[in-house]
Amino acid sequence: MILKFFFRKELKRYPFFFLLLFTTLLLGTLGLVGISVVSSEVQQKLRQSANELLTSDLAVSARRELFPAEQEALQKIFLKYPHGHYKIIDLYSMVTNVATGVSRLVEIRATGTGFPFYGRLETDGDPFQSERLFISDDLRNLWGIGAGVSLKIGTLTLPTAGVVTHDSSQGLRGFSLAPRIYFPLNRLEETGLLKPGATGSFAYHYKLVDPSEEVLREIKLEVYAAIPDSAVKITFPQDTSDQTARVTNTLTNFMALAALIGLILSLVGVFYLYQSHLLARLRDLCLLNLYGLSKLKLVGGIIAQFSAVFALVMTVELLLIPVIYRLLAPVLSRNLGLDLGTQVNLLGAAREIPLLFVLSLLILTPLLLGLLRTPMGLQLKAQKLALGRFRFFDFLPFGFALWIFSGYLARSFKTGNIFFGSLILVFLVSTAIVKLGQWLLRRFIQGDGLLTPTIECGVALRGLTRSGHKLTLSFLSLAVGATLISLILQLDKMILTEFAFDAKKPSLFIFDIQEEQLEPFQGLAQANASPLAFVTPMIRARLEAVNGKKFERKKKDFDFRSREEDEDTRLRNNGLNLTYRSYLTDSERIVSGEPFPAGGAPEGRLSYVSIEKRWSERMNVRLGDRLTFDVQGVPFDGVVRNIKEIKWTSFYPNFFVTIEPGQIDAAPKTFLAILPQGPLPVKLSLQRKTIEAFPNISFIDVGELVAKLSVLFERSRQAIEIISWLSLAVGLVILYGLSHDQVYRRYYDLALMKSLGFSSRQLLLNLLYEFGALFFAAMSLGLFLGWLIAQLIGREVFKLPVSVDWARVFYPAILLSILCLATIFLSSWRAVRAKPRELLSDS
Amino acid sequence: MSELTVVVENLRKGYGPGDARVEVLRGVSLQIQKGETVALVGKSGSGKSTLLSLLAGLDQADAGTITIANRNITSMDEGELTQFRAANMGIVFQQFHLVSTLTALENVLLPLELLRRPRASETARSLLEAVGLSHRSHHLPSQLSGGESQRVAIARALAINPSILFADEPSGNLDEETGEKVMDLLFRMVEATGTTLVLVTHDPELARRCGRVVHLEHGGLA
Repeated sequence: MILKFFFRKELKRYPFFFLLLFTTLLLGTLGLVGISVVSSEVQQKLRQSANELLTSDLAVSARRELFPAEQEALQKIFLKYPHGHYKIIDLYSMVTNVATGVSRLVEIRATGTGFPFYGRLETDGDPFQSERLFISDDLRNLWGIGAGVSLKIGTLTLPTAGVVTHDSSQGLRGFSLAPRIYFPLNRLEETGLLKPGATGSFAYHYKLVDPSEEVLREIKLEVYAAIPDSAVKITFPQDTSDQTARVTNTLTNFMALAALIGLILSLVGVFYLYQSHLLARLRDLCLLNLYGLSKLKLVGGIIAQFSAVFALVMTVELLLIPVIYRLLAPVLSRNLGLDLGTQVNLLGAAREIPLLFVLSLLILTPLLLGLLRTPMGLQLKAQKLALGRFRFFDFLPFGFALWIFSGYLARSFKTGNIFFGSLILVFLVSTAIVKLGQWLLRRFIQGDGLLTPTIECGVALRGLTRSGHKLTLSFLSLAVGATLISLILQLDKMILTEFAFDAKKPSLFIFDIQEEQLEPFQGLAQANASPLAFVTPMIRARLEAVNGKKFERKKKDFDFRSREEDEDTRLRNNGLNLTYRSYLTDSERIVSGEPFPAGGAPEGRLSYVSIEKRWSERMNVRLGDRLTFDVQGVPFDGVVRNIKEIKWTSFYPNFFVTIEPGQIDAAPKTFLAILPQGPLPVKLSLQRKTIEAFPNISFIDVGELVAKLSVLFERSRQAIEIISWLSLAVGLVILYGLSHDQVYRRYYDLALMKSLGFSSRQLLLNLLYEFGALFFAAMSLGLFLGWLIAQLIGREVFKLPVSVDWARVFYPAILLSILCLATIFLSSWRAVRAKPRELLSDS
Repeated sequence: MSELTVVVENLRKGYGPGDARVEVLRGVSLQIQKGETVALVGKSGSGKSTLLSLLAGLDQADAGTITIANRNITSMDEGELTQFRAANMGIVFQQFHLVSTLTALENVLLPLELLRRPRASETARSLLEAVGLSHRSHHLPSQLSGGESQRVAIARALAINPSILFADEPSGNLDEETGEKVMDLLFRMVEATGTTLVLVTHDPELARRCGRVVHLEHGGLA
C-alpha cells in the first residue's frame, strides 16, 4: 500500500514534478559523474602503464650526480638483489641543425644500454638503440627532419638514426617544455654539457628479478639509511604515474568544483521542488498518518521515493556516459597526449555516486524534519495547510557535508575552503541584497496607491517585497550561476592577458652560464649588440633546518593526500635553487619585513634572507627565523628579513629564496640572464654565436613558451567552461521550476486578478516585471561577484592590477537575459490562460 | 415594474468530451430585477455554481444568451468581458481569494485602480472602515482570520459600486457565528447600496434572507 502510494500513484498524479526532479538531478550530477569517470579512466591508464612510464622497477635519482660514496653505497645494497640496471640523465640544452644552423632548446634524454626495461619506443625506421641518436616526433614536426641529419649537441655532432614516433615513458605528450631527443649516454661526456651546476636529473634505474612490494620497501629503507641526503629520492612506478596523474588531476579537480556548483544549484532546485510537492501532498500524508502510518514511515517512504528517482538518474547517466565518452575520447586523447581507449569503465563513477547520494539526501533533511514536526491531526482541521517549520540548524548537516565534499573534490583543503567560503560569501551577499532590496522597495511603494508607476508594476513590486525565502532561493541560484559564468570569462581574459607575449617580457631566458663563462659571454653579447639583462647567480642548495630544527623526509602513506601535502612532500624532499642580490626586480614586491640594508652582509652578522610568500607558508617559515642551508656540502645560515610576492609569469630570473650578497658570493654557482626584446636577426645571431662559443649555455624562447603555456591554459579553461555552462543549464532548469512553481502557487491569485479586470497582457507584464527584476538583480550581482572573485584570483595568482573588460560583462549579460526571459516567459504562459472559473467552490 | 438587470435565455452548458460529456445546464431561463436579492439553491451537481460562473462572465456558455444592463455578455470576447466585469460586477468567493502579496487595503484598492477611479484610496479606506477592518488595513491575507478575509473580500467586491454582486457560498468556509456576522454585513451593505445580489448557497437560512430563492435541479429550474 505504502509502495503503491509513494510510487505508482504519485508518479501518475505528479508526472511534471518527477520529470523536473529527474531533469534537475540529471543535469546537476552529470558533470561530476562524467568528470569522475574520465579522471578515473586517465588514472587507470596511467596506473596500468606505471612501469612503462618509469621504464624500470625503481629509480634512485637526484638533481645532481650521485657522489662516489653514494654510488658505492648503492652498489653494495643492490649486490643482494639480482638485478639489471642502466642510467638515465635528463637535461635541457640547445641543439643545432648543422645543415640549417637553426638552434633550439631540447630535452636530452641520455640513456644507457638496456633502456627501456619496460615499455617501448616505436620509430619510423631502424629500431631504437640507446647507442644512437634519435629525435622525437615533436622535433621532426618542428624542423621537418628525419634520419641522417647532423645535429650538434654541445661540442659533439652526431647523425640522427631515426624518429621516435611513440614513447611509452612520456605520460602526457604536449605538456613538456621542449621536444625530446634520445642521446647515447656513453657520449654525453663528449658534449661538454655536464658542467657543475648543469640543470638536469641523474637517475639510476633497476630491474629486479623479484620486484615484490616487500623487496622494494626493504631497498627503500636501506637506500635512505645509506644516503641520508633528502635530495636523493627513490621512485617507484606508482610514483611516476601519480606524478603524471597530478597534471590531469589538478585540472579535473577544478572542473569538479565547477561541476559541484551545478550540483548545488540542482540541489537547491530539489529542495524547492520537494517543498512544493510535500505541501501539495500534505493533506494525503496527514490522512495516512490519521489511519495509522507513523511519521517516521512517511519520511521513510519519501526517502525511498527519492532514492528510486536518484537510482534512475544514475542508471540513465551510466547509460549515457559511455556514448558521450566514445564521442569525446579522441578529443581527450589529443588534448591530454594520452592514448585513451574508447571503452569506458563505469566503476570509475562508483566512488562518487554514494557521496552524491548522501549529499542530495541531506538537502532534504530540513524538509523531512519539518514533516516530523508537523501537527498532522490539526492540519486536517486547518483552513490552510502548513508544513512544520524547519530551522537554521537543520541545514547544518548539508553544509558540513558540502564543506567536506568541496575539499575532497578539489583534493585540496585550501582550495576547498576557498570554494566553500566563496559560496558562503555569495549566499550571505545574496541574502543581504535581497533583504536590502526588499527594504528599499518597501520604502518606494509606501503609500496607498498601487500605480507605481503602473498597476502591473505596482503589484509586481509588492510581490517582490513580500515573498519570503523562496525569493532568496531563486535569487541565490541565479546569482551563483551568473557568478560562475562571469568568473570563467574574466579568468579567460586574465589568461589571455597574462600569456600574451607583450613588450615587457624577455625575448630569451638564458641559463647554465658557468662562472668562468660569464665575462666572455657578456662580452660576446655586447659585441652582438644584444647586451644581457638581469644577470643573476644561481646556487644549488637545500634547506636543512629552521631555527635549528632539522627537516626530515616526509611521506604519508594513506590514500587521500591533498595537493598541499603533495607539494609539501616534494618541497621538503627536493633541493632548491637560490640567488643573491641586493635589489628587487620589477616582478618582486615585499609584503612584510624590511629590504636588505645597503652594503651587503658584513662578517660577524648572519646574512639576511628574502623568501617568497607561498614558499614561506608551505615551509612554515616566518620573519626572523634562522634558516640553515646546505650549499653543496657547506652549511650556510641566514635570518629571514622579508617576505615577498613574485610575479612568476614575468619570465625574469626569480627565486623562492634570495640571500643578501656578501658572505654567500663565493659559493659555486651558474648564472641566468635574459635578453630583452629586440630585432629577430640579433637574437638569432646571439644564439648561433653562443652555441659555437659556449655550447653548454641554453636558451628558452619566451615567446614560444608563452604560446605553449597559453594553449595549455586555454585547454583547461575550455574544459572548465563547458562544465560551467552545464551548471548554468541547471540554473535555468531551476529558474524554470521556480517560476513555474510560483505561477502554480499563485494560480488563484492570477485567476483572481483576471476576474477583477486584469487583461492577459497585463498579467504577463506583471509576471515579467516580477521575475525579470529578480533575475536582473541576481544577474547583476552574479556578474559583479564573478568579476570580484576573478580580480582576487588575478591579484593572488597573477599579481595583476584591477581591470574591467566590459565586453566580457556585457555579452554574457545579454545572453543570460535572453535565456532567462525566455525561461520566465515559457513558465508564465500557463498563468496568462488562467481561468477565473476555477475560483468557484465546485472547481 | 422594476428595471431588469439580468436576463438569461435558454442557457446551456456541458463539460467533457464525447460520451463522457455531462450537460450541467439544460436550457435555463431567468430574469433578475435591479436591486433584487436572489439565492440559487440546489443539490451538489445541480448546476448552481455553473450558472453563477456564466452570469459572472467567468466561463463561456455553449448556447443561450445572458444580458446584463442591456449588454449581451455571451457575445463578448475575453477582453470585452474582462472590462465589463471589472466595471459592473463584484464577486465574493467561498475561499475568499485575496491576492496573497497585497495587504487588505491594497486588495480593496486593486479593482478601483484598475478602473482608474478617482479618490480610490479614500474609497478603499472607507470601505474597510465600513466592514470594521480599518485597523487591519496593512495586514497581509495570511495575517487575517477567515472572517476578516471574507469581510475584505466583500469590501473589495463592493468597491467599484457594481450593478450586480455575485456571491459563491460566501459563508461556506466560516464557522456559524462568524458566517452569520459576515452575512449580516453583506446584506446590510447590499441593501445600503441597492446592489443586485445573486448568491449560491447550500444554507437554507441564508437563502431565506434573499428576496427570491431559485431552485436548480438536474440543470434546470425546479
